[in-house]
Amino acid sequence: MTTMATPTQPKAGGTAPVQAPEYNPKSESVGAKRAKSVIFHIVALALTAVVLYPALWMVASSFKPNAEIGGTNTSLWSSNFSFDNFTTAMEGIGGVSTLQFFTNSLVLAIGAVVGTILSASVSAYAFARIKFPGRSALFGMMIATLLLPFHVVIIPQYIIFQQLGLVDTYIPLLIGKFLAADAFFVFLMVQFMRNLPAELDEAARIDGAGHVRIFTSIMLPLMKPALISTSIFSFIWSWNDFLGPLLYLNTPEKYPLPLALRLFVDQTQSSDYGAMIAMSVLALLPVLIFFLVFQRYIVEGVSTQGLKG
Amino acid sequence: MISRRNFLTTVALGTASAAALAACGSPAPAQTGSAANPVTINYTWWGNDDRATRTRKAIALFESKNPDIKVNGNFTDFAGYWQKRATEAAGGGLPDVMQWDLSYLRDYGQRNQLLDLGTVKIDTSGFDKSLLPSGQIKGKTYGIPTSTNAFAVYYDPAKLKSLGVSEPDGSWTYDEYKSWLKEVGAKGNGTIFGSTDFTGIWWQFNIWLRQNNIEAFTEDGKLGFSKDDLKTWWNMASDLRGTPALVSEERATQLAPKSPFGSNVTVAENTWDNFMAGYLADSGAKELKIVPVPSDDPDNLGLFLKPSMLMVASAKTKFKDASARFIDFMINDPEVGQIFKTSRGVPASKTQRDGTTFEGTDKIVVDYEKSIEKYLKDAPEPPIVGFGTLEASFKRISSDLNFGKLTVDSAADAWFKEAEDLIKQNA
Repeated sequence: MTTMATPTQPKAGGTAPVQAPEYNPKSESVGAKRAKSVIFHIVALALTAVVLYPALWMVASSFKPNAEIGGTNTSLWSSNFSFDNFTTAMEGIGGVSTLQFFTNSLVLAIGAVVGTILSASVSAYAFARIKFPGRSALFGMMIATLLLPFHVVIIPQYIIFQQLGLVDTYIPLLIGKFLAADAFFVFLMVQFMRNLPAELDEAARIDGAGHVRIFTSIMLPLMKPALISTSIFSFIWSWNDFLGPLLYLNTPEKYPLPLALRLFVDQTQSSDYGAMIAMSVLALLPVLIFFLVFQRYIVEGVSTQGLKG
Repeated sequence: MISRRNFLTTVALGTASAAALAACGSPAPAQTGSAANPVTINYTWWGNDDRATRTRKAIALFESKNPDIKVNGNFTDFAGYWQKRATEAAGGGLPDVMQWDLSYLRDYGQRNQLLDLGTVKIDTSGFDKSLLPSGQIKGKTYGIPTSTNAFAVYYDPAKLKSLGVSEPDGSWTYDEYKSWLKEVGAKGNGTIFGSTDFTGIWWQFNIWLRQNNIEAFTEDGKLGFSKDDLKTWWNMASDLRGTPALVSEERATQLAPKSPFGSNVTVAENTWDNFMAGYLADSGAKELKIVPVPSDDPDNLGLFLKPSMLMVASAKTKFKDASARFIDFMINDPEVGQIFKTSRGVPASKTQRDGTTFEGTDKIVVDYEKSIEKYLKDAPEPPIVGFGTLEASFKRISSDLNFGKLTVDSAADAWFKEAEDLIKQNA
């Protein structure tokens, strides 16, 4: 972390810094160092194995016949290895293809990302940079919505959308994202923006830039880490959301993946655990890819948030 | 950019249109459709891919016979189904026709969410008279059963043969049943057990009460049995708990979500006869058989037909007539019986049952229900509100009993306290 080191550099012309006795890792013997490293790696590997086992179990079970999943079968791999579960999973449910469920999930997730990025960044700019009457009161109210449990608003919200005739459309699921209703993301961006040096927009203002110009040309490029963290979280949350789609969507053709997954396991009839697990594996892939592509930004995003500008 | 004035206009317009839409939602006179201009009713059910395929087939058949009605079919899984219905009921938007479960009937019926089906034209002449009360509350018919289940003892004949234990013939006392379980446990060598603790199953207890001429719940929704009855019941398996006659609760938990019977760990299980297909799929067994539950009174088996699911309509439906015709079709039409076979349970209506050919597994279940016909008594009324919680606590407390965490006396005390609190709360 080279950036972390910059503030500690001695200023030119100041008093000479006092040399404090420093901890020197090189003073340790090579043997002790190696032993430490080995122990560290063993512990890390053991923890990784524990954490990853459920995922491994899931992947392994997706290749097993249904009768061999759970129950008395404790072995990880089955001798009856097959892709049948994936075939069943891809056939879809009740005449709706699995590809359709994937597309629906993707539409919802991308809609959520776009909506949140647009609305939360603009709202955050207003809260962080524009002085308007009632700003702190509004900010406080926004934080208060963070503390309001989702379950309290389910029924009033449902009644509103039902009266507007918007049930069984994606509008109830996406409109909140485009109206910055996700207070968490607005808050995250406000905090990020407050740490950006105000001198930058003051300089822009002197050069004649308005709010729109300052926001698009100065703030947005600087906020890249916050924008990426927001995209990742809102993508994953939307991808995994079950209750929202359950309440607002009626037509199976519009269902996203989490709803479809539950249809394989029916308490009142036979349950196809194999197909459900196979579909879970498939459903995990987009999130995994999304995360792998953007993970270096996530680390950057979180670490730079801790920096004072 | 939206100016402030524009914004206000937009909001005002939005509010006005919301009000206009709300006006549309108020009760309108019953509407009927024609072939040229059909009405559309919404029908919703829970279930898996198999049920979705069958239901869609039935809907297509209904639409071809009734060109003036279109049916818009939707489905979710069982758990999500009730979350969704609760929200819709609060928001006033229940679908026109719904597949329903007995345990939710009283709750929604008492809150006037369901249509009194006695006020519309549905043919129930083909129904066993002992069955219809299970869809009625205080003289109003809120639900009509599509199909029935009966309680039974499942066993695996192949496993019994390999252990050298004889198959039960279905007329047995509790003592005979218990010694049969003991024999299986003794020969099972610690890998195969008799059954799960049958005293932990609410419906098995309920049937035992009926065998002793006790009703589980009184008409005003109180408990109809005493603490001593419950203690007698739980004491019945005291000598079996901890022996291989009953699989331990610990083992059963390890096997979840599969049942010990479905995992081939026990040879018998007491439950509803519609579990047959699920057990066959889970265990991979070629054949499973069912026999009546044990009873100390050979003339009173305490058995009854329970609706495996019912058809209900929303109290607020605008299409009462179309909804009634759809329900009538789904419960009575022989061709619908051919489509569903026993996947909803054994068809409740005689017209539908007689018009359906049953083979293999289906035949076993239908024959079983026919064989117990002479023992059947009136089905109990719809369970009290909060019954699901009572049933779950019955299961939980008796599994603590099986673990040895509770004595029979303290378990009975604990359950009675929970039950009485719950009944007081919902009164």
